[in-house]
Amino acid sequence: MVNKERDFNVSGGKRRVLLVEDEIVNQEIMRTILNDTYEVIVAETGEDAIKIVSSQYETLSIVLLDLNLPGISGIEVLRRLKDDPTYSRLPVIVMTADSDAEVECLTLGAIDFIPKPYPQPKVILARILRTVELSEDRDILRFTERDRLTGLYNKEFFYRYVSQFDLYHKDVPTDAIVFDINHFRTINDRYGKTRGDEILRNIAENASNVADDVGGIVCRNEPDEFMLYCPRRNDYDSVLDRLSVVTEDGENGENRIRLRMGVYSDADKTLDVERRFDRAKMAADAVRGNLTEPIGFYDNSMRETEVLAAQLIDDFPSALREKQFVVFYQPKFDVRYSEPVLSSAEALVRWKHPKLGMVSPGVFIPLFEQNGLIQQLDHYVWSETGAQIRRWKENFNMSVPVSVNVSRVDLYDSGLVNKLLNIVKENGLNVRELILEVTESAYTENSEKIVEKVKQLRELGFLIEMDDFGSGYSSLSMLSYLPIDALKLDMQFIRNAFNGNKDTRLLEAMIRLAGSFEVPTIAEGVETEEQVFTLKAMGCDFIQGYYFSRPLPANEFERFIEEKKAPFNRLENVRQTG
Amino acid sequence: MLTIEKLKEFGADVDTGLSRCVNNEALYFRLIEMAVREPSVLSLGEALKANDLDKAFAEAHKLKGVMGNLSLTPIFEPVSQLTELLRNKTPGDYESLYSEILKKTEELKIFLG
Repeated sequence: MVNKERDFNVSGGKRRVLLVEDEIVNQEIMRTILNDTYEVIVAETGEDAIKIVSSQYETLSIVLLDLNLPGISGIEVLRRLKDDPTYSRLPVIVMTADSDAEVECLTLGAIDFIPKPYPQPKVILARILRTVELSEDRDILRFTERDRLTGLYNKEFFYRYVSQFDLYHKDVPTDAIVFDINHFRTINDRYGKTRGDEILRNIAENASNVADDVGGIVCRNEPDEFMLYCPRRNDYDSVLDRLSVVTEDGENGENRIRLRMGVYSDADKTLDVERRFDRAKMAADAVRGNLTEPIGFYDNSMRETEVLAAQLIDDFPSALREKQFVVFYQPKFDVRYSEPVLSSAEALVRWKHPKLGMVSPGVFIPLFEQNGLIQQLDHYVWSETGAQIRRWKENFNMSVPVSVNVSRVDLYDSGLVNKLLNIVKENGLNVRELILEVTESAYTENSEKIVEKVKQLRELGFLIEMDDFGSGYSSLSMLSYLPIDALKLDMQFIRNAFNGNKDTRLLEAMIRLAGSFEVPTIAEGVETEEQVFTLKAMGCDFIQGYYFSRPLPANEFERFIEEKKAPFNRLENVRQTG
Repeated sequence: MLTIEKLKEFGADVDTGLSRCVNNEALYFRLIEMAVREPSVLSLGEALKANDLDKAFAEAHKLKGVMGNLSLTPIFEPVSQLTELLRNKTPGDYESLYSEILKKTEELKIFLG
């Protein structure tokens, strides 16, 4: 078990005690008693004591305060410390030969007394230690200290200890390291949750041992993500090796669970702890899916990405206000007939940035998904799209349904249904004209809640397309219980099927299976005639991709509407002339 | 030359005093030397002479802490009595208590040489 009750050791850095005492003999005695256990700082006047506390309170563990001081008195010092919320958590023990002062000091917030003449050194040390520990526990107990499954610290507690580590090791270069399991969900799917948990516990145990050996601290963050903070190293390969676990895989024998690791080496301590680990995480993400290079390092190019990300986040509000986000439309064609027919479109957002030019959605969408801004952006796109559908209806007398993306975070928004209904209502649309695309991975995260929300939307008449199917951890069995109206096959999945050895069997199986559940399929990212031909032959219903058209600005998209209207126009002409 | 025997003869509670100095004899002796040369002894006398009882109390209080910590009982006792009298400005024989403090301090100084 990893459930070690070992307290994180801030050795090398002793706890710091501020001794406020003007009498040199007493100072010397107390210093002698404390020196082995604590770092003692002395203030000889009340003024000095206040000055030291205000500049160093974060690193002080306790104040030992003599009452009889030159200048402002000990009582006044105590009053000032306890009146200031910044310092009031700092425990104060009053040292006095005067038992009458005790009540007043207690009322003012002193936590204990050391009488004069001093009691035995052991007694003094025990009182101080007890006070310091009580106060630290009180601070820390607010957090549920440990992760239940693995016994490691949880994130909040870990961050506090990292800060504490830094305080006591100012000059020690450190590494922020993140590691996780490649495709953990597939492990859970494959071996079951109990086995998955056991694997996590084994990794945690290895991590705990590594942390002990390297003088670091470790915690579990997300289900399969761990964070390690330690003095700077150069043997990351061996660290990763020690973290890895092997699991029995029935008839296949042993199976090594693959980990990937992101290292932010010699981390900049002026950054928030969280930022430092964000960087390690970026480094880990950079090697996602890369089995030969499982360790990524934070470097300058990532720094540039980070700077760009910060700029985009800063610029977001004005971009929204100034309508720098432009909605493009990519047609989806019904290919079930001899001639492809325009059936609907997908709304795709572009950012015309005044300084950076066109910013790729591949850059800003993941970013906004991470920080929640995507919700505002989605709403903007829905509104723009709703208005566009209305304009096309008015101008062409034809309904062109358009699908919009609904992000995972939108599904947790209790106002979602009303927002969508309002857009539909404002533009006089039928709910079926504003199609909703929900990404597959949203379903796997918190299925029950999401499924409920999606069901509710369907009951209101919205059509739901499941986006990115085949990109993540798709399970075909999902089709049997998920409320969806169409399945969008992921672009990359299509590309892979047609690449190299052209193994399209899985693709075909998916289309067939979807067909057997009477769920139509939409293939995205289709580029060649051969792909269209093959997909049609497999029974795919709709096709979207560069083969037909890239995403277009609304006015350019209109040629497809005109084309579609053309046969009707011709018919109309015939009627008129006939 | 100060020795443990001489201190015991003097009447100090050597064991307690020494244990406060984590049994470091050299430190104990050094602090005793500092204590008997403590300016508070003289300031206390001057304050009493000037009848500045507040100042006298502060000085006596300080001395009490020091002498107590070093377990120099023959000085600590009169200092404690004097401190208590001065705390409430109770009339009393300040003079003789102070001369006792002075006398005992001088005795120690002789040991120290």
